[in-house]
Amino acid sequence: MAAASASSFTSLKSRPAPGLATIAAVKSGAPLSFSFRRPVPAVSRLRISCAAKPETVEKVAKIVKKQLALPAETPVTGDSKFAALGADSLDTVEIVMGLEEEFHISVEEDSAQSIATVQDAADLIEELVQKK
Amino acid sequence: HRRLPAVIPTPPVSASPFPNPKSQYCCLSRNFSAALTPLLPVQLPSRMETHLWYVVPDEVKSAPLLSKYMELLPQSERDHVLGFRGDQLQKSALLARTLVRTTIARYQVDGHLDPRSLRFKRNIHGKPEVEWETKDGFCPPPLQFNISHTSSLVACGVTMNSLIGIDVEEKRRRTKNNILAFAKRYFTAHEVEHLNAIPDSELQQQEFIKLWTLKEAYVKALGKGFSSSPFNTFTIRVNTAAQESFCASSGIAVETLDSPQNLTNNWQFALLELMGSHYVAICLERQETGGAGKAFPIKLTARKTIPSVEDELVSGTNAVVTIGGSVTQF
Repeated sequence: MAAASASSFTSLKSRPAPGLATIAAVKSGAPLSFSFRRPVPAVSRLRISCAAKPETVEKVAKIVKKQLALPAETPVTGDSKFAALGADSLDTVEIVMGLEEEFHISVEEDSAQSIATVQDAADLIEELVQKK
Repeated sequence: HRRLPAVIPTPPVSASPFPNPKSQYCCLSRNFSAALTPLLPVQLPSRMETHLWYVVPDEVKSAPLLSKYMELLPQSERDHVLGFRGDQLQKSALLARTLVRTTIARYQVDGHLDPRSLRFKRNIHGKPEVEWETKDGFCPPPLQFNISHTSSLVACGVTMNSLIGIDVEEKRRRTKNNILAFAKRYFTAHEVEHLNAIPDSELQQQEFIKLWTLKEAYVKALGKGFSSSPFNTFTIRVNTAAQESFCASSGIAVETLDSPQNLTNNWQFALLELMGSHYVAICLERQETGGAGKAFPIKLTARKTIPSVEDELVSGTNAVVTIGGSVTQF
Protein backbone atom coordinates (compact mmCIF):
# COMPACT_ATOMS: atom_id res chain seq x y z
CA MET A 1 0.00 0.00 0.00
CA ALA A 2 2.73 2.43 0.96
CA ALA A 3 4.62 1.57 -2.20
CA ALA A 4 1.55 2.23 -4.32
CA SER A 5 1.02 5.58 -2.61
CA ALA A 6 4.65 6.47 -3.12
CA SER A 7 4.45 5.76 -6.83
CA SER A 8 1.38 7.97 -7.14
CA PHE A 9 3.52 10.90 -6.08
CA THR A 10 4.86 11.15 -9.56
CA SER A 11 1.57 12.74 -10.48
CA LEU A 12 1.94 15.54 -7.95
CA LYS A 13 2.86 18.85 -9.41
CA SER A 14 5.71 19.42 -7.02
CA ARG A 15 8.45 17.05 -6.06
CA PRO A 16 7.61 16.07 -2.49
CA ALA A 17 10.07 16.08 0.33
CA PRO A 18 10.22 12.85 2.29
CA GLY A 19 7.92 14.38 4.90
CA LEU A 20 5.04 14.39 2.45
CA ALA A 21 5.38 10.67 1.85
CA THR A 22 4.87 10.30 5.58
CA ILE A 23 1.54 12.10 5.42
CA ALA A 24 0.34 9.90 2.58
CA ALA A 25 1.53 6.79 4.34
CA VAL A 26 -0.44 7.80 7.41
CA LYS A 27 -3.55 8.52 5.36
CA SER A 28 -3.39 5.19 3.61
CA GLY A 29 -3.10 3.39 6.91
CA ALA A 30 0.33 2.00 6.07
CA PRO A 31 2.83 1.62 8.89
CA LEU A 32 4.83 4.79 9.52
CA SER A 33 8.48 4.67 8.72
CA PHE A 34 10.42 6.36 11.47
CA SER A 35 13.44 6.96 9.29
CA PHE A 36 11.79 10.21 8.14
CA ARG A 37 13.05 12.65 10.71
CA ARG A 38 12.73 15.87 8.75
CA PRO A 39 9.81 18.06 9.78
CA VAL A 40 6.98 18.26 7.28
CA PRO A 41 7.55 21.36 5.19
CA ALA A 42 4.71 23.85 5.01
CA VAL A 43 3.15 23.97 1.61
CA SER A 44 0.48 26.40 0.69
CA ARG A 45 -1.34 24.24 -1.81
CA LEU A 46 -1.11 20.52 -1.63
CA ARG A 47 -3.09 17.90 -3.43
CA ILE A 48 -2.33 14.39 -2.42
CA SER A 49 -4.26 12.20 -4.77
CA CYS A 50 -3.63 9.06 -6.64
CA ALA A 51 -2.95 9.59 -10.31
CA ALA A 52 -5.86 8.72 -12.54
CA LYS A 53 -5.76 5.42 -14.36
CA PRO A 54 -4.09 5.50 -17.75
CA GLU A 55 -7.39 4.46 -19.36
CA THR A 56 -9.05 7.58 -17.96
CA VAL A 57 -6.24 9.77 -19.28
CA GLU A 58 -6.65 8.04 -22.66
CA LYS A 59 -10.38 8.69 -22.76
CA VAL A 60 -9.88 12.35 -21.86
CA ALA A 61 -7.24 12.67 -24.56
CA LYS A 62 -9.63 11.18 -27.09
CA ILE A 63 -12.41 13.61 -26.18
CA VAL A 64 -9.99 16.54 -26.33
CA LYS A 65 -8.69 15.53 -29.74
CA LYS A 66 -12.22 15.16 -31.03
CA GLN A 67 -13.29 18.60 -29.74
CA LEU A 68 -10.22 20.30 -31.16
CA ALA A 69 -10.30 18.31 -34.40
CA LEU A 70 -6.74 17.14 -33.88
CA PRO A 71 -5.42 14.26 -35.96
CA ALA A 72 -5.65 10.97 -34.06
CA GLU A 73 -1.89 10.55 -33.97
CA THR A 74 -1.35 13.93 -32.22
CA PRO A 75 0.59 13.21 -29.04
CA VAL A 76 -1.65 14.13 -26.12
CA THR A 77 -0.50 13.11 -22.68
CA GLY A 78 -1.41 13.91 -19.09
CA ASP A 79 0.89 16.92 -19.19
CA SER A 80 -0.73 18.39 -22.27
CA LYS A 81 -2.34 21.74 -21.56
CA PHE A 82 -5.74 22.37 -23.12
CA ALA A 83 -4.79 25.92 -24.05
CA ALA A 84 -1.53 24.87 -25.67
CA LEU A 85 -3.45 22.39 -27.82
CA GLY A 86 -5.62 25.24 -29.03
CA ALA A 87 -8.63 25.02 -26.74
CA ASP A 88 -10.32 28.33 -26.07
CA SER A 89 -12.94 28.84 -23.39
CA LEU A 90 -15.78 27.49 -25.51
CA ASP A 91 -13.75 24.38 -26.36
CA THR A 92 -12.95 23.84 -22.70
CA VAL A 93 -16.60 24.02 -21.69
CA GLU A 94 -17.51 21.64 -24.54
CA ILE A 95 -14.78 19.26 -23.46
CA VAL A 96 -16.10 19.31 -19.89
CA MET A 97 -19.58 18.64 -21.22
CA GLY A 98 -18.20 15.71 -23.22
CA LEU A 99 -16.48 14.37 -20.12
CA GLU A 100 -19.69 14.67 -18.11
CA GLU A 101 -21.51 12.60 -20.70
CA GLU A 102 -18.77 10.01 -21.08
CA PHE A 103 -18.29 9.43 -17.37
CA HIS A 104 -21.82 10.25 -16.13
CA ILE A 105 -20.66 12.89 -13.73
CA SER A 106 -21.48 16.51 -13.06
CA VAL A 107 -18.66 19.03 -12.93
CA GLU A 108 -19.10 22.22 -10.95
CA GLU A 109 -18.14 25.42 -12.72
CA ASP A 110 -15.30 26.24 -10.35
CA SER A 111 -13.84 22.74 -10.65
CA ALA A 112 -14.05 23.08 -14.42
CA GLN A 113 -12.10 26.33 -14.21
CA SER A 114 -9.22 24.65 -12.44
CA ILE A 115 -8.67 22.16 -15.25
CA ALA A 116 -5.57 23.15 -17.19
CA THR A 117 -4.16 19.82 -18.31
CA VAL A 118 -5.44 16.45 -19.43
CA GLN A 119 -4.19 15.02 -16.14
CA ASP A 120 -6.22 17.59 -14.17
CA ALA A 121 -9.33 16.48 -16.00
CA ALA A 122 -8.62 12.78 -15.50
CA ASP A 123 -7.93 13.24 -11.79
CA LEU A 124 -11.10 15.26 -11.31
CA ILE A 125 -13.14 12.64 -13.16
CA GLU A 126 -11.90 9.83 -10.98
CA GLU A 127 -12.56 11.89 -7.87
CA LEU A 128 -16.12 12.54 -8.98
CA VAL A 129 -16.70 8.96 -10.09
CA GLN A 130 -15.53 7.69 -6.70
CA LYS A 131 -17.91 10.03 -4.91
CA LYS A 132 -20.91 8.63 -6.72
CA HIS B 1 -11.75 28.70 -32.61
CA ARG B 2 -11.24 26.75 -35.80
CA ARG B 3 -7.84 26.86 -37.35
CA LEU B 4 -8.00 28.19 -40.88
CA PRO B 5 -5.51 26.66 -43.29
CA ALA B 6 -3.07 29.59 -43.16
CA VAL B 7 0.47 28.94 -44.20
CA ILE B 8 3.44 31.09 -43.39
CA PRO B 9 5.28 31.05 -46.72
CA THR B 10 8.92 30.11 -46.33
CA PRO B 11 10.87 33.30 -46.95
CA PRO B 12 13.83 32.96 -49.28
CA VAL B 13 16.59 33.69 -46.79
CA SER B 14 15.65 33.03 -43.22
CA ALA B 15 14.20 30.18 -41.28
CA SER B 16 10.65 30.19 -39.94
CA PRO B 17 10.42 32.08 -36.66
CA PHE B 18 8.94 28.96 -35.17
CA PRO B 19 11.44 26.28 -36.07
CA ASN B 20 10.44 23.87 -33.38
CA PRO B 21 8.06 24.45 -30.50
CA LYS B 22 10.50 22.98 -28.04
CA SER B 23 13.67 24.60 -29.28
CA GLN B 24 15.17 27.58 -27.59
CA TYR B 25 14.16 30.60 -29.62
CA CYS B 26 17.20 31.11 -31.78
CA CYS B 27 18.72 34.45 -32.53
CA LEU B 28 17.38 35.46 -35.91
CA SER B 29 18.31 39.06 -35.47
CA ARG B 30 21.55 38.43 -37.28
CA ASN B 31 19.52 38.30 -40.47
CA PHE B 32 17.64 41.48 -39.80
CA SER B 33 19.83 44.37 -38.85
CA ALA B 34 16.99 46.86 -39.04
CA ALA B 35 14.82 47.04 -35.97
CA LEU B 36 11.08 47.48 -36.23
CA THR B 37 9.96 50.81 -37.60
CA PRO B 38 9.39 53.16 -34.68
CA LEU B 39 5.80 53.14 -33.49
CA LEU B 40 3.59 56.10 -34.29
CA PRO B 41 2.07 57.65 -31.20
CA VAL B 42 -1.67 57.72 -30.84
CA GLN B 43 -3.97 59.83 -28.69
CA LEU B 44 -5.42 58.33 -25.55
CA PRO B 45 -9.14 57.63 -25.66
CA SER B 46 -11.16 60.30 -23.91
CA ARG B 47 -13.21 59.26 -20.88
CA MET B 48 -16.20 58.43 -23.02
CA GLU B 49 -14.38 56.66 -25.85
CA THR B 50 -13.55 53.07 -26.54
CA HIS B 51 -10.73 52.14 -28.88
CA LEU B 52 -10.83 48.82 -30.65
CA TRP B 53 -7.68 47.57 -32.35
CA TYR B 54 -7.46 44.36 -34.31
CA VAL B 55 -5.04 42.30 -36.35
CA VAL B 56 -5.90 39.70 -38.96
CA PRO B 57 -3.24 37.00 -38.61
CA ASP B 58 -3.64 35.86 -42.20
CA GLU B 59 -2.55 39.31 -43.34
CA VAL B 60 0.69 39.12 -41.39
CA LYS B 61 2.73 36.82 -43.56
CA SER B 62 6.26 38.09 -43.19
CA ALA B 63 8.44 35.75 -41.20
CA PRO B 64 11.04 38.49 -40.59
CA LEU B 65 8.30 40.73 -39.22
CA LEU B 66 7.07 38.01 -36.89
CA SER B 67 10.64 37.50 -35.69
CA LYS B 68 10.87 41.16 -34.86
CA TYR B 69 7.64 40.95 -32.92
CA MET B 70 9.10 38.07 -30.97
CA GLU B 71 12.02 40.30 -30.04
CA LEU B 72 9.65 42.74 -28.34
CA LEU B 73 8.62 40.15 -25.80
CA PRO B 74 10.36 39.27 -22.56
CA GLN B 75 11.63 35.71 -22.35
CA SER B 76 8.67 34.55 -20.27
CA GLU B 77 6.21 35.69 -22.93
CA ARG B 78 8.29 34.16 -25.71
CA ASP B 79 8.27 30.87 -23.86
CA HIS B 80 4.52 31.17 -23.46
CA VAL B 81 4.07 31.75 -27.19
CA LEU B 82 6.32 28.85 -28.09
CA GLY B 83 4.40 26.61 -25.70
CA PHE B 84 1.45 26.56 -28.09
CA ARG B 85 1.38 23.64 -30.45
CA GLY B 86 1.77 24.54 -34.09
CA ASP B 87 2.56 27.63 -36.13
CA GLN B 88 -1.01 28.90 -36.31
CA LEU B 89 -1.57 28.95 -32.56
CA GLN B 90 1.87 30.37 -31.91
CA LYS B 91 1.28 33.11 -34.44
CA SER B 92 -1.99 34.30 -32.94
CA ALA B 93 -0.51 34.12 -29.43
CA LEU B 94 2.46 36.18 -30.63
CA LEU B 95 0.21 38.71 -32.33
CA ALA B 96 -1.91 39.05 -29.19
CA ARG B 97 1.11 39.93 -27.07
CA THR B 98 2.49 42.19 -29.79
CA LEU B 99 -0.81 43.99 -30.25
CA VAL B 100 -1.26 44.75 -26.59
CA ARG B 101 2.34 45.90 -26.09
CA THR B 102 2.58 48.07 -29.17
CA THR B 103 -0.90 49.56 -28.72
CA ILE B 104 -0.36 50.55 -25.11
CA ALA B 105 3.11 51.85 -25.89
CA ARG B 106 1.69 54.09 -28.59
CA TYR B 107 -0.46 55.92 -26.08
CA GLN B 108 2.81 57.13 -24.57
CA VAL B 109 1.37 57.12 -21.13
CA ASP B 110 4.68 57.43 -19.37
CA GLY B 111 6.24 59.68 -21.94
CA HIS B 112 8.08 57.06 -23.91
CA LEU B 113 7.18 54.64 -26.54
CA ASP B 114 8.96 51.37 -25.91
CA PRO B 115 6.73 48.29 -26.09
CA ARG B 116 9.54 46.21 -24.67
CA SER B 117 9.61 48.06 -21.40
CA LEU B 118 5.98 47.46 -20.48
CA ARG B 119 5.40 45.17 -17.56
CA PHE B 120 2.23 43.26 -17.02
CA LYS B 121 0.80 41.73 -13.90
CA ARG B 122 -2.41 40.02 -12.90
CA ASN B 123 -4.84 41.32 -10.34
CA ILE B 124 -5.83 39.04 -7.49
CA HIS B 125 -8.43 37.39 -9.70
CA GLY B 126 -6.03 36.82 -12.55
CA LYS B 127 -7.03 39.68 -14.84
CA PRO B 128 -4.04 41.08 -16.74
CA GLU B 129 -3.13 44.73 -16.05
CA VAL B 130 -0.26 47.02 -16.86
CA GLU B 131 2.23 47.44 -14.09
CA TRP B 132 3.34 51.03 -14.47
CA GLU B 133 6.69 52.10 -13.16
CA THR B 134 6.12 54.26 -10.12
CA LYS B 135 8.76 56.92 -10.18
CA ASP B 136 8.98 60.60 -9.29
CA GLY B 137 5.36 60.93 -8.34
CA PHE B 138 4.21 59.55 -11.67
CA CYS B 139 0.54 58.83 -11.36
CA PRO B 140 -0.45 56.06 -13.73
CA PRO B 141 -3.47 56.85 -15.84
CA PRO B 142 -6.55 54.69 -15.48
CA LEU B 143 -5.91 52.96 -18.81
CA GLN B 144 -7.96 49.80 -19.12
CA PHE B 145 -7.55 47.12 -21.73
CA ASN B 146 -8.70 43.63 -22.60
CA ILE B 147 -7.60 41.21 -25.31
CA SER B 148 -9.31 38.40 -27.11
CA HIS B 149 -8.11 36.20 -29.91
CA THR B 150 -8.98 33.33 -32.15
CA SER B 151 -6.69 31.91 -34.81
CA SER B 152 -8.25 34.28 -37.34
CA LEU B 153 -8.55 37.51 -35.36
CA VAL B 154 -6.69 39.23 -32.55
CA ALA B 155 -8.37 42.19 -30.86
CA CYS B 156 -7.64 44.64 -28.08
CA GLY B 157 -10.06 47.10 -26.52
CA VAL B 158 -8.81 50.17 -24.64
CA THR B 159 -10.56 52.75 -22.50
CA MET B 160 -9.66 55.40 -20.01
CA ASN B 161 -11.22 54.44 -16.74
CA SER B 162 -14.04 52.10 -17.79
CA LEU B 163 -13.53 48.46 -17.00
CA ILE B 164 -13.68 46.64 -20.31
CA GLY B 165 -14.10 43.07 -21.47
CA ILE B 166 -14.03 41.94 -25.09
CA ASP B 167 -14.56 38.66 -26.81
CA VAL B 168 -14.21 37.73 -30.46
CA GLU B 169 -15.43 34.68 -32.31
CA GLU B 170 -15.86 33.51 -35.85
CA LYS B 171 -19.46 33.87 -37.02
CA ARG B 172 -19.42 30.37 -38.45
CA ARG B 173 -18.11 28.75 -35.27
CA ARG B 174 -20.02 25.56 -34.65
CA THR B 175 -20.38 23.81 -31.36
CA LYS B 176 -19.74 20.08 -31.30
CA ASN B 177 -22.64 19.65 -28.92
CA ASN B 178 -26.25 20.38 -29.68
CA ILE B 179 -26.86 24.07 -28.98
CA LEU B 180 -29.95 23.68 -26.85
CA ALA B 181 -28.41 20.89 -24.80
CA PHE B 182 -25.38 23.10 -24.25
CA ALA B 183 -27.49 26.13 -23.39
CA LYS B 184 -29.64 24.14 -20.98
CA ARG B 185 -26.51 23.03 -19.19
CA TYR B 186 -24.68 26.34 -19.09
CA PHE B 187 -26.98 29.26 -19.84
CA THR B 188 -30.05 30.61 -18.06
CA ALA B 189 -33.66 29.65 -18.75
CA HIS B 190 -34.40 32.94 -20.45
CA GLU B 191 -31.47 32.50 -22.81
CA VAL B 192 -32.52 28.94 -23.62
CA GLU B 193 -35.99 30.25 -24.43
CA HIS B 194 -34.50 32.96 -26.62
CA LEU B 195 -32.51 30.39 -28.59
CA ASN B 196 -35.32 27.89 -28.70
CA ALA B 197 -37.58 30.47 -30.33
CA ILE B 198 -35.34 30.65 -33.40
CA PRO B 199 -36.55 28.15 -35.98
CA ASP B 200 -33.67 28.38 -38.43
CA SER B 201 -30.73 26.30 -37.22
CA GLU B 202 -28.13 28.47 -38.94
CA LEU B 203 -29.50 31.61 -37.28
CA GLN B 204 -29.81 29.79 -34.01
CA GLN B 205 -26.12 28.86 -34.20
CA GLN B 206 -25.23 32.50 -34.82
CA GLU B 207 -27.41 33.72 -31.96
CA PHE B 208 -25.68 31.24 -29.71
CA ILE B 209 -22.28 32.60 -30.67
CA LYS B 210 -23.50 36.16 -30.08
CA LEU B 211 -24.76 35.24 -26.63
CA TRP B 212 -21.56 33.40 -25.84
CA THR B 213 -19.35 36.36 -26.78
CA LEU B 214 -21.51 38.78 -24.79
CA LYS B 215 -21.37 36.57 -21.74
CA GLU B 216 -17.62 36.16 -22.04
CA ALA B 217 -17.16 39.90 -22.47
CA TYR B 218 -19.19 40.57 -19.31
CA VAL B 219 -17.20 38.16 -17.18
CA LYS B 220 -13.93 39.51 -18.55
CA ALA B 221 -15.04 43.08 -17.81
CA LEU B 222 -15.89 42.11 -14.24
CA GLY B 223 -12.35 40.79 -14.00
CA LYS B 224 -13.09 38.42 -11.16
CA GLY B 225 -12.56 35.18 -13.00
CA PHE B 226 -15.09 32.82 -14.53
CA SER B 227 -15.76 30.91 -11.35
CA SER B 228 -17.10 34.06 -9.65
CA SER B 229 -19.75 34.51 -12.32
CA PRO B 230 -20.80 31.16 -13.73
CA PHE B 231 -22.69 31.61 -16.96
CA ASN B 232 -25.94 30.34 -15.51
CA THR B 233 -26.00 33.06 -12.86
CA PHE B 234 -26.61 35.95 -15.22
CA THR B 235 -28.84 36.53 -18.22
CA ILE B 236 -28.08 38.62 -21.25
CA ARG B 237 -31.30 40.29 -22.26
CA VAL B 238 -31.95 41.75 -25.64
CA ASN B 239 -34.59 44.45 -25.88
CA THR B 240 -36.16 44.68 -29.27
CA ALA B 241 -39.66 45.00 -30.50
CA ALA B 242 -39.25 41.77 -32.40
CA GLN B 243 -37.64 39.97 -29.44
CA GLU B 244 -36.37 37.31 -31.78
CA SER B 245 -32.85 38.22 -32.54
CA PHE B 246 -30.36 41.00 -32.36
CA CYS B 247 -30.76 43.97 -34.62
CA ALA B 248 -29.01 47.27 -34.76
CA SER B 249 -31.41 49.05 -32.46
CA SER B 250 -31.44 46.40 -29.82
CA GLY B 251 -30.46 47.30 -26.34
CA ILE B 252 -28.47 44.65 -24.57
CA ALA B 253 -28.46 44.38 -20.83
CA VAL B 254 -27.31 41.97 -18.20
CA GLU B 255 -29.47 40.75 -15.37
CA THR B 256 -27.96 38.84 -12.51
CA LEU B 257 -30.02 36.09 -10.96
CA ASP B 258 -29.59 37.33 -7.44
CA SER B 259 -31.39 40.57 -8.24
CA PRO B 260 -33.76 39.63 -11.02
CA GLN B 261 -35.96 42.66 -10.89
CA ASN B 262 -33.12 45.12 -11.21
CA LEU B 263 -31.40 45.09 -14.53
CA THR B 264 -27.81 45.73 -13.65
CA ASN B 265 -27.29 49.21 -14.95
CA ASN B 266 -23.60 49.31 -14.37
CA TRP B 267 -22.72 47.61 -17.62
CA GLN B 268 -23.30 48.45 -21.24
CA PHE B 269 -22.71 46.30 -24.27
CA ALA B 270 -21.87 46.54 -27.92
CA LEU B 271 -22.06 43.73 -30.42
CA LEU B 272 -20.24 44.22 -33.71
CA GLU B 273 -19.87 42.21 -36.86
CA LEU B 274 -16.31 42.61 -38.08
CA MET B 275 -15.38 42.10 -41.74
CA GLY B 276 -18.54 40.07 -42.17
CA SER B 277 -16.77 37.15 -40.55
CA HIS B 278 -16.49 37.73 -36.82
CA TYR B 279 -18.56 38.83 -33.86
CA VAL B 280 -16.94 41.17 -31.37
CA ALA B 281 -18.68 41.69 -28.06
CA ILE B 282 -17.65 44.59 -25.86
CA CYS B 283 -18.77 45.11 -22.28
CA LEU B 284 -18.03 48.40 -20.55
CA GLU B 285 -18.53 49.78 -17.12
CA ARG B 286 -21.01 52.59 -17.43
CA GLN B 287 -19.42 55.91 -16.61
CA GLU B 288 -22.26 58.39 -16.75
CA THR B 289 -25.89 58.16 -17.53
CA GLY B 290 -28.11 60.48 -19.48
CA GLY B 291 -31.50 61.46 -18.12
CA ALA B 292 -33.64 58.81 -16.43
CA GLY B 293 -30.79 56.32 -16.20
CA LYS B 294 -30.32 56.05 -19.95
CA ALA B 295 -26.76 55.46 -21.00
CA PHE B 296 -24.93 57.45 -23.58
CA PRO B 297 -24.10 55.38 -26.64
CA ILE B 298 -20.68 53.80 -26.74
CA LYS B 299 -18.32 56.02 -28.73
CA LEU B 300 -16.22 53.61 -30.70
CA THR B 301 -13.09 54.07 -32.77
CA ALA B 302 -12.01 50.93 -34.57
CA ARG B 303 -8.67 50.44 -36.26
CA LYS B 304 -7.30 47.50 -38.13
CA THR B 305 -3.57 47.32 -37.69
CA ILE B 306 -0.37 45.51 -38.47
CA PRO B 307 1.84 46.63 -35.57
CA SER B 308 4.65 48.89 -36.66
CA VAL B 309 3.55 48.66 -40.27
CA GLU B 310 0.19 50.25 -40.86
CA ASP B 311 -3.12 51.29 -39.33
CA GLU B 312 -6.44 51.68 -41.00
CA LEU B 313 -9.33 53.52 -39.43
CA VAL B 314 -12.32 51.32 -40.12
CA SER B 315 -15.06 52.65 -37.86
CA GLY B 316 -18.07 53.74 -39.85
CA THR B 317 -17.18 51.46 -42.75
CA ASN B 318 -18.58 48.10 -43.80
CA ALA B 319 -15.82 46.45 -41.89
CA VAL B 320 -17.46 47.25 -38.56
CA VAL B 321 -21.22 46.86 -38.37
CA THR B 322 -23.07 47.44 -35.12
CA ILE B 323 -25.54 44.64 -34.62
CA GLY B 324 -26.44 45.19 -31.00
CA GLY B 325 -26.22 47.83 -28.34
CA SER B 326 -26.08 51.56 -28.69
CA VAL B 327 -22.92 52.55 -30.51
CA THR B 328 -21.69 55.62 -32.33
CA GLN B 329 -18.68 54.99 -34.52
CA PHE B 330 -16.03 57.62 -35.06
